[in-house]
Amino acid sequence: MLEIDLLLLFMIASAIIAVQVKDLLSSVIAVGAVGIGLSMSFLIMKAPDLAIMQLVVEVLSLIILIRATIRKDLPFSASGRWAFNTFSMILFLAVFLVFAYFSFSDMHRFGAPLMKVSQEYLGEAMAKTGAHNVIAAITLKYRSIDTLGEVAALFAAVVGVLAIARKVSRPGGIRK
Amino acid sequence: MHLFLIIPLAAAFMMAILARTGDCVRDIISGLAAISLAVFSVLTLMAANFFHSAVIVKSFAGFMPPAGTAFVVDGLSAFMLVTVNTVALFVVLYSAGYMNKYTDKWKFQSLFFLMISGINGVLVASDMFNLYVFLEIAAISAYFLVAFGTEAEELEASFKYAVMGTVASAFILLGIAFLYSHTSTLSLAGIAQAIAAAPSARIVQFVSVLFLMGFALKAALVPFHAWLAYAHSSAPAPISAMLSGVLIKVLGIYAIARIFFSVFGASAGICQILIALGVLSMIAGGVLAFGQSDIKRLFAYSTVSQIGYVALALGVATPLAFFGAVFHLFNHSIVKSLLFLNSGSIEQMFRTRDLSKISGVVAGAPVTGYTSIMGAMSISGVPPFGGFWSKLIIIFACLQAGHPVLAAIAVLVSVMTMAYYFAAMTPALFGAGINSFNAVKKVHGIMNVSVMALAVLALAAPLALLPEMRQRLIDGAVQALVNGSAYAATVLGAIK
Amino acid sequence: MVTYLLCLVLFSVGLYCVVRKRNIIKIIIGIGIMEYAINLFFILIGYRSNGRAPIFADDQAVVNMVDPLPQAMALTAIVISLAVTMMLVALAIRIYEKYGTFDITKINRLKG
Repeated sequence: MLEIDLLLLFMIASAIIAVQVKDLLSSVIAVGAVGIGLSMSFLIMKAPDLAIMQLVVEVLSLIILIRATIRKDLPFSASGRWAFNTFSMILFLAVFLVFAYFSFSDMHRFGAPLMKVSQEYLGEAMAKTGAHNVIAAITLKYRSIDTLGEVAALFAAVVGVLAIARKVSRPGGIRK
Repeated sequence: MHLFLIIPLAAAFMMAILARTGDCVRDIISGLAAISLAVFSVLTLMAANFFHSAVIVKSFAGFMPPAGTAFVVDGLSAFMLVTVNTVALFVVLYSAGYMNKYTDKWKFQSLFFLMISGINGVLVASDMFNLYVFLEIAAISAYFLVAFGTEAEELEASFKYAVMGTVASAFILLGIAFLYSHTSTLSLAGIAQAIAAAPSARIVQFVSVLFLMGFALKAALVPFHAWLAYAHSSAPAPISAMLSGVLIKVLGIYAIARIFFSVFGASAGICQILIALGVLSMIAGGVLAFGQSDIKRLFAYSTVSQIGYVALALGVATPLAFFGAVFHLFNHSIVKSLLFLNSGSIEQMFRTRDLSKISGVVAGAPVTGYTSIMGAMSISGVPPFGGFWSKLIIIFACLQAGHPVLAAIAVLVSVMTMAYYFAAMTPALFGAGINSFNAVKKVHGIMNVSVMALAVLALAAPLALLPEMRQRLIDGAVQALVNGSAYAATVLGAIK
Repeated sequence: MVTYLLCLVLFSVGLYCVVRKRNIIKIIIGIGIMEYAINLFFILIGYRSNGRAPIFADDQAVVNMVDPLPQAMALTAIVISLAVTMMLVALAIRIYEKYGTFDITKINRLKG
């Protein structure tokens, strides 16, 4: 599928821009581009629920990130073992990709998934749950625990952000 | 079964709702929730032994795996549930007194119960993705709890912990994706069957490496241990106790044991890697603990070392070694929580964590002092405490399996442990007392109660070696590990 | 095959950013890129050639749907990564207030 490969190349290019650019605001916008590319990929891969979800979450994340970005990135300084660290990181990534490539040979060909469990979903979801959208049936009925978990995770994040953002952490002021 | 999840989630939610009411109401509710969890876990353990089926399966929302998800409790899960919920009970009691130091207690209690629900969820999950979701819940709550004091160092520690933990979770999720593409099912039993059919596919090896990297970081095995020292020394004392005593064990060691022994089938390569990581952690943790003046950092490196013992025992993979690993896990949870809670009391009394400035704990606060002594003796392996027996069993297991070098290393590290504990703690505990001692606060009553209860448990732990108790408590866990490959069969059998 | 590889290259770009960049915000961006790559990988795995979205329609018989399970997983993963991003940014903002900088090499008061 040529479209998805092209989209991936676009996303990789935007990601590299996001990583390397000095101005933090441009960096965040480049990540936004990656997210839009992701959303379009989801559409091409026939996952409309995900595309919508990704757009919403993308916008939220961008808002949160832009709130935090007020300064430029730091000036580049090749201090100390920069060359060694960068080289070893790139080496690690190369090894990782090579091993991943070998394990791809065991995976199914792109476009022909195994779908053992999913046959049951596709066959029975309409009958047992009455939902037209199979994804909704899965997330709300078959695997409702995952949905409970994600709601709990969001709840934890909200309470946690409230906990961190409070001004006075100890009665009587800061200790030291 | 789902009570393990519903009780803490409900408690967390109620804490948020009751934010405005006085502390008393919320303390009582949290105490009740913790007590009920501990009681349920003991009941579950007894039920698991009673039915002799080794596995309890309960489905959620009426759909069975592989289409739906179910909760599965086998011997190992039941044992760890008891450990986790008992420690959590005492930490909850302790934090009722300790957290008066901080404002906005309801947020702490809410996050704490969310963390417990995540940990319980990991223990009862029978489905790979469920495991991941609950792992994330526990981890996110833990990241926030470490930063709860919102001082500069605590935020820094939490951020570094959060970044490392998130990268580890990303590796785990990637592993799940690869695994799904290979096996096309998410339930642990189904995956076990699919892998048994093709054990040495390259993809399985790749996924093993991904999982190992991710879970080893959660378990703070060397070389992924860097976050532990930061997080522990900066977190509030009850959180350090939970992190070190419970979170590492469940999210790291239990997950490794469940995935590699029950699902992937213990291959020789994995066992050797576990042995290597275990030995590295034992030695590195011991070496780094020397010369630490910060009491909590000392305990943190000691945790790294002790988890190395457990990893080593898991790698040796004989029934005796499994017994030692499980028993050591239990001992360490109890004793390390005890020590961390005491460090909180000490910090509250003396306003510093620097060991060179503390002295006279036994004189000033006898409960804290004596229980710390008991805890240190148990971890160093002094009889008759539980730690001695569990280390002895691990050493014997190494000898029995034909690894005399490993046994020697274990003995050496045990001696090192004793050395640094006593070198660091004796002047602090037994000194004459500093001049400004009269001005320090006394330890809150309920903190003493919980610490004493933990110390009693540490003393009572060797009772578990008696054949009758052992059969009821630990054998189920050992069987679950030994017959790892039977996991799939028993779960699928229970479903039909 | 190439598609999978490109997806993992995206993951590697994110991982590189997390490990090698000094600015905290860049680190958070790197984690975000990693999460995107993983979600995309889930969807790529589930794709079926000439497949259709897994939604039943009343007026036509929809056959040959793509695999719905990875999509459900990715849905949950997206929400969880939102929670993580929120957390990291909140921590970063507070760190900036305390330390005055986003440079991670300067945020180093915890020794040993």
